[in-house]
Amino acid sequence: MSRTGSTSTLPSDPPRRWQAWFVPFVLIALTGLLLADPWPHVSPVGPAAVVPASATDMTPVRRPILKPETVVAGMTYRCSECHNLFPSPVETDRPLTQHRAIVLEHGINARCFNCHNRENRDAFADDRGGPIPFDQPPLLCAKCHGPVYRDWAHGVHGRTNGYWNPKLGPMERRKCVECHDPHNPAFKPMRPAPGPNTLRMGDRRSEAEGRSETKNPLLIYRQRLPGGDGDEAKPQRHRR
Amino acid sequence: MKRYLTFLWQCARISFVGDWRYYTWMTVLTVLSLVGLHAWCTQLVNGLVTTGMTDQVSWGVYIANFTYLVGLAAAAAMLVIPVYIYRNMHLHHVVIFGELLAVAVIVMCLLFVTVDLGRPDRFAHLLQRFNFPVSMLTWDVIALNGYLILNLHICGYLLYCAYCEREPAKVFYVPFVFVAIVWAVSIHTVTAFLYVGLGGRPFWNSAIIAPRFLASAFAAGPAFIILTLQIVRHYTRYQVGDDALLTLRRIVQVATIINIFLLGCELFTEFYSDSAHIASSRYLFFGLHGRHALVPWIWTAVAFNVLATILLVLPASRGLKVLNVACVLTIVGIWIEKGMGLIVPAFVPTPLGEVVEYVPTVHEVQICLGIWAFGLLLYTLFVRMSVPVLSGELTYRKDHGVSHEDHRRATAETV
Amino acid sequence: MSEQDNQLSGPGLTRRGFFRKSAVAATGAAAIAAAVSPLRKMSPDDIPTLERFLQKHYKEMTPAEMQTALDRIAREVEHRFAVRPSLGDVKPMVGVEFVYALNISRCIGCRRCVHACVKENNLSRAPEIQYIRVLKMEKGSIDLETSDHHYDPPVVPEHDSYYMPVQCHQCAKPPCVKVCPVEATWQEPDGITVIDYDWCIGCRYCEAACPYWARRFNFAQPELAAKDLNPDMSYLSNRPRPKGVMEKCTFCLHRTRVGKLPACVEVCPTGSRKFGNVLDAASEVSYILRHKRVFVLKEEVGTLPRFFYYFDERGSRYHESVESDRATESGGGGE
Repeated sequence: MSRTGSTSTLPSDPPRRWQAWFVPFVLIALTGLLLADPWPHVSPVGPAAVVPASATDMTPVRRPILKPETVVAGMTYRCSECHNLFPSPVETDRPLTQHRAIVLEHGINARCFNCHNRENRDAFADDRGGPIPFDQPPLLCAKCHGPVYRDWAHGVHGRTNGYWNPKLGPMERRKCVECHDPHNPAFKPMRPAPGPNTLRMGDRRSEAEGRSETKNPLLIYRQRLPGGDGDEAKPQRHRR
Repeated sequence: MKRYLTFLWQCARISFVGDWRYYTWMTVLTVLSLVGLHAWCTQLVNGLVTTGMTDQVSWGVYIANFTYLVGLAAAAAMLVIPVYIYRNMHLHHVVIFGELLAVAVIVMCLLFVTVDLGRPDRFAHLLQRFNFPVSMLTWDVIALNGYLILNLHICGYLLYCAYCEREPAKVFYVPFVFVAIVWAVSIHTVTAFLYVGLGGRPFWNSAIIAPRFLASAFAAGPAFIILTLQIVRHYTRYQVGDDALLTLRRIVQVATIINIFLLGCELFTEFYSDSAHIASSRYLFFGLHGRHALVPWIWTAVAFNVLATILLVLPASRGLKVLNVACVLTIVGIWIEKGMGLIVPAFVPTPLGEVVEYVPTVHEVQICLGIWAFGLLLYTLFVRMSVPVLSGELTYRKDHGVSHEDHRRATAETV
Repeated sequence: MSEQDNQLSGPGLTRRGFFRKSAVAATGAAAIAAAVSPLRKMSPDDIPTLERFLQKHYKEMTPAEMQTALDRIAREVEHRFAVRPSLGDVKPMVGVEFVYALNISRCIGCRRCVHACVKENNLSRAPEIQYIRVLKMEKGSIDLETSDHHYDPPVVPEHDSYYMPVQCHQCAKPPCVKVCPVEATWQEPDGITVIDYDWCIGCRYCEAACPYWARRFNFAQPELAAKDLNPDMSYLSNRPRPKGVMEKCTFCLHRTRVGKLPACVEVCPTGSRKFGNVLDAASEVSYILRHKRVFVLKEEVGTLPRFFYYFDERGSRYHESVESDRATESGGGGE
């Protein structure tokens, strides 16, 4: 495979021009370039997002005092102090003259005495009119909200703080009124905490805006319902 | 032993000898390599945040290039199979260039994996706790390093025997060559299995990925070798016959046809069924939720591959000009479809449906170019060393003026 | 290449040759030095030390070696944050397997769990890393690809949406554990999949393998302010992580292994999150698994998650009466 032998050269041949003369210059230029670092790393990391303190607040939504008390003009009164003086009529739908701050929106439960004990305002009323202690509202709610109460008793509905293992520490089951205002029990919508802002995430617009057609069968079928319009087929759009 | 050291020393010396074109080429490659090294040092200081990768797209051009290069390395077997199994002697003299390419390319693969690691200083942990055989990455580590050692041995042994003007003993290289054939297929299969085994990524969790890997490797690899052999022929006195190139052309031809067929299979499976699992394919080929950065790339790759296949099927590609165009199209097209068209789309959308696009940064591109340049530098060095040895111009006898038997009796000489 | 013979068989090293060779060698060395010069900016905390190099894998460390490692980490935390941490290695409890349950009828998507987790586990604020991602789902769809991660309405919950927070499910057949080449992540006897942050090599194969996108990587040096630091730490969970390693939700094992609830459970205002020991028949999670309509995400992937979603009554919007549904449907649809 090899060709005829190598060309012989004599030591006295005149030296040819150094073929690699430019190499040191290129390397010096490269050294200068690299030391000058024309491509410094510009961090894409922005400042940390501002997170409101409410986002990590572990206290329950409501802090009820669970005592039959009210504050009027700076003075604390036990419920029975007034209500023993002024006996209530049997039934009435007249608007309240006191406790006007209370807005009753408890669904079909629009009768005060469904919950409050007519004879003893320091307690609630059970099914037969007997007292339920004021600091045990779950027994009251259980009158109507049986399945939810059952779940709550097993720890499945509602909030728990503390320990999952009660042998190692207190397991604090939150009572009903620590989340639900008894007169307006619907859980209040709240402002969500800030969404993700991860590295090089790109445009933070809502994902749904980029979608042109939905494959959600429910949304597609709903446009065929009477009263529904064609817009139902499109995924929801959300303004900032 | 002294002869071996002399052999290494002579190889090292000759790699610094050449004409101005050689020096220009090597200087350019050195510059690119050092720029890449500089960018990697910046990455070591700042972390992988200098790249464009994110938690959503956590593998990018490094793994893309790694995947492509594993295929290129496997293609060395494509030269070996015709010669050693089918006794096709047209390729007999150029097999070694394929194996030298495999060595250079495997080094590039290992470098790409190293620069992708978050903690390369903990490389030694692989030796201390090795999750073999459960983790496919461990298989890949064994496969790649084993392949490197195999090819280093084969090439080193053959070159050393040529240097000593000794007929190589078949027992020291033929079994290894056959092992290398099987091993070449396995490195690519193992690398494919890295991706295929992940059930959470439906884009990858498909049986066709491993066969497609092999088909595209056996197209891109020999195409690369066709081009490099012509360079070797042009710049050295080494004889490379046209029939070697035409045999390689036949291999590339068949491989690209199979590759196109498998692409068709994939496209049909994805888009005819049109289920929710094809979100990644939809992102790659048509865009998803208004994001379509990869769409022009993949269609370019498909166009290149189809055009290359057509050119290779035509008899006109027996002419070197058309053949070279077809080879370049194949190499680039397969690079795109296997790199960006395989790795990145699997991460879009994320398993939770988020769409975050990936754009490589300047540093990433510099590191990639640097590793490519370093690999080409290594390959050029290998060719520079091996051509004179193989053609008989650089031998022990010519250096020392004595045969190897005489030298044992002679005193040491300075060179 | 006819030059080669000239130079190799020539008279040997001449003065000119020596000068040329050393010019190239010197400039070459200078160029290489310039190439590695960015390393001078490396923070001294990042430079690998012999102590860290010799530290063994978590499972191989003797208690004395663990104490040495804990001392080192405590020193580093104190040096960085000027806060003395209470750092330990909390072992799993016997006879405990943790299971998590999340009530998607009650979740309102307020994202407090996300931020409580960030605070409890000393997660990086810049770049932001959050273990929990809350998905807003369209009613009628369980396809995660239709989810919206970046909802930001004035109030939640929104009409016709439900919310599914996703975090590490501590799967019983974890694909992340399967793929790790150095066994830097494994599953503990109580079901929690943990990571040894001092062993991880940062290859991110586990991140690619997770079907729930639950694992996070520290691309940059994690930054958090000293005032935000939670000093109650453990080796496998919430100690400050270095750059270049993986991390993920650990069910707050520094809390749960001493009997406390995780931070996400405690902060949830609606009590949608439930946590406990599934091996205890009297626990909340056992009750949920027996009586509630539970399901898991991506069941078909076969990872056997320990994180169950369940739903009970009509939805979390009791205050919207059934009649008002029709009115809002034909109204503005979706605000």
